[in-house]
Amino acid sequence: MKGSNKVRFMQGNEAMAEGAFAAGARFYAGYPITPSSEIAEISARRLPQLGGVYVQMEDELGSMAAIIGASAAGKKSFTATSGPGFSLMQENLGVAVMAEVPCVIINVQRSGPSTGLATKPAQGDFMQSRWGTHGDHGIIVISPSTVEDCYYLMIKAFNFSEKYRTPVVFLADEIIGHLQERVVINDIDPEDIVTRELPSCDPEDYKPFEIGESGIAPLAYYGSEYIVRLTSSTHDESGYSNSKPENADKFIRHYTDKIEKNKKDITIVRKYNLEDADYAIITFGCTTRSALEAVEILKAEGKKVGILQLVTLWPFADDEVLEVCNQVKGVVVPELNLGQLIREVERVNKKNIPIVGVNKVNSLSIHPNEIIDKIREVEKCQR
Amino acid sequence: MKDKYQIVLSGVGGQGLIACGSLVAEAAIIYEDKYATLTSSYGVETRGTFTKSDIIISGKEIFYPEVIKEDIVLSLAQVAYDRYIDKIDSDAILIYDSSLVTQIKDSKAKQYGFPFTDLARELGNITVANVIALGAIIKMSGILSQESVLNAIKDKYEEKPKVMELNTKALEKGLEIAAII
Repeated sequence: MKGSNKVRFMQGNEAMAEGAFAAGARFYAGYPITPSSEIAEISARRLPQLGGVYVQMEDELGSMAAIIGASAAGKKSFTATSGPGFSLMQENLGVAVMAEVPCVIINVQRSGPSTGLATKPAQGDFMQSRWGTHGDHGIIVISPSTVEDCYYLMIKAFNFSEKYRTPVVFLADEIIGHLQERVVINDIDPEDIVTRELPSCDPEDYKPFEIGESGIAPLAYYGSEYIVRLTSSTHDESGYSNSKPENADKFIRHYTDKIEKNKKDITIVRKYNLEDADYAIITFGCTTRSALEAVEILKAEGKKVGILQLVTLWPFADDEVLEVCNQVKGVVVPELNLGQLIREVERVNKKNIPIVGVNKVNSLSIHPNEIIDKIREVEKCQR
Repeated sequence: MKDKYQIVLSGVGGQGLIACGSLVAEAAIIYEDKYATLTSSYGVETRGTFTKSDIIISGKEIFYPEVIKEDIVLSLAQVAYDRYIDKIDSDAILIYDSSLVTQIKDSKAKQYGFPFTDLARELGNITVANVIALGAIIKMSGILSQESVLNAIKDKYEEKPKVMELNTKALEKGLEIAAII
């Protein structure tokens, strides 16, 4: 049912908010922070028009708690923040992991640590998005590189969240959040929108953590005829606290397994010019655009350089990265941080080909020439 | 027409450079079916410090959204003028507000000064200096048609007829004072 292609000039943050609404989100709780504030502003205006609710919270701890509660009550819920706010959300993000409550957390990364440079870009939260909350768990992290991505990938983020009963982090950055560009917005086929599985059993038989055939427990909502016990403490299938070792083992493994075992479904990567590439650039988010520009320049020189863009950052695309490492003579990993993604690439790199980073934390974007210079450096390693 | 134009609108916060940039990009995308990107750089202050907007207009998809080589630079403040005057190449043009930029230097690029702020004051509102400058840019470079920009102004201020009228007048003033180069 793709149609009514509307060409629009949109900002990344605006597209993220509109993507969330298109995915069916009807509850937003947040505390505005640069460079994500437009998402709060737009949600405050649009959600009441859509029959939804916007709540301006006292802080990010409350924001995260509120979206968990609203989601448990049956509304697709989200929040948006940046560095300092994302740090404050970590504890309750763990509650969403433990209670298996779907929700989407947008982090428009800015230069840190702490309050850092509020209006400047960074990608320093790559590892935090995976390991920010304590304890073993799996999480899904999605990263956009265009304004269109902000719209369409947001729908995917909500779909994954609903399907796997998990928080999903939408890891954008200041460059993409504030970028304004051409987008084509299509109507979304209702069949492309995923909503959590509800229980079909009798209310008295319902257990909120009883893993069904899909590997995920159906989630009834607060206020329905089902009793839903959600807790942040280790619990059994019924949602009662349970300290038996075998129970802890089962559930803690489940939080990781439900994500890792569905990697094929969750992993999204994009390949540019990789077919016969001699060298590869592995990117995510804003650096993808610098890399694409670099590849165009190198192509004109007759150099074969391709790009593997990670759209799903976590679970990590081991297979896809390994395939690239097995194919090319060297890899460049540009990041607006001091080397976070590169650690994962190095972990996967079985052939020990040269892997070099372009790492920048001076608040500026990566210039295409900086990537080109590194490609030349890697070429020299071969001689 | 070149395939790709790289434009910088520079000045200080509060001069409406981002708003002006969005008019250009919107006109290019909606009314001329082109690709365009707009990025901005500013400090945490709401006004008074250096601000710029980078606009790229192209017939093809745009990857890196920041200006690498300037074709047109607008400077509405001395601090912005000083930042670009030595940087830009001979094939670029620099347009400045001669009401505010008073220390003029020699440059490789061709320079054109117009008293945008004084003209805006004559129109009754100095905040439209940016749109007068936009009119001059459009006339001199031919990067977009006048109708496209007028339509973008109409869309942007659909619900504010007075603001629409003021901005339309400002654009027309800019078109009037500049000559095709």
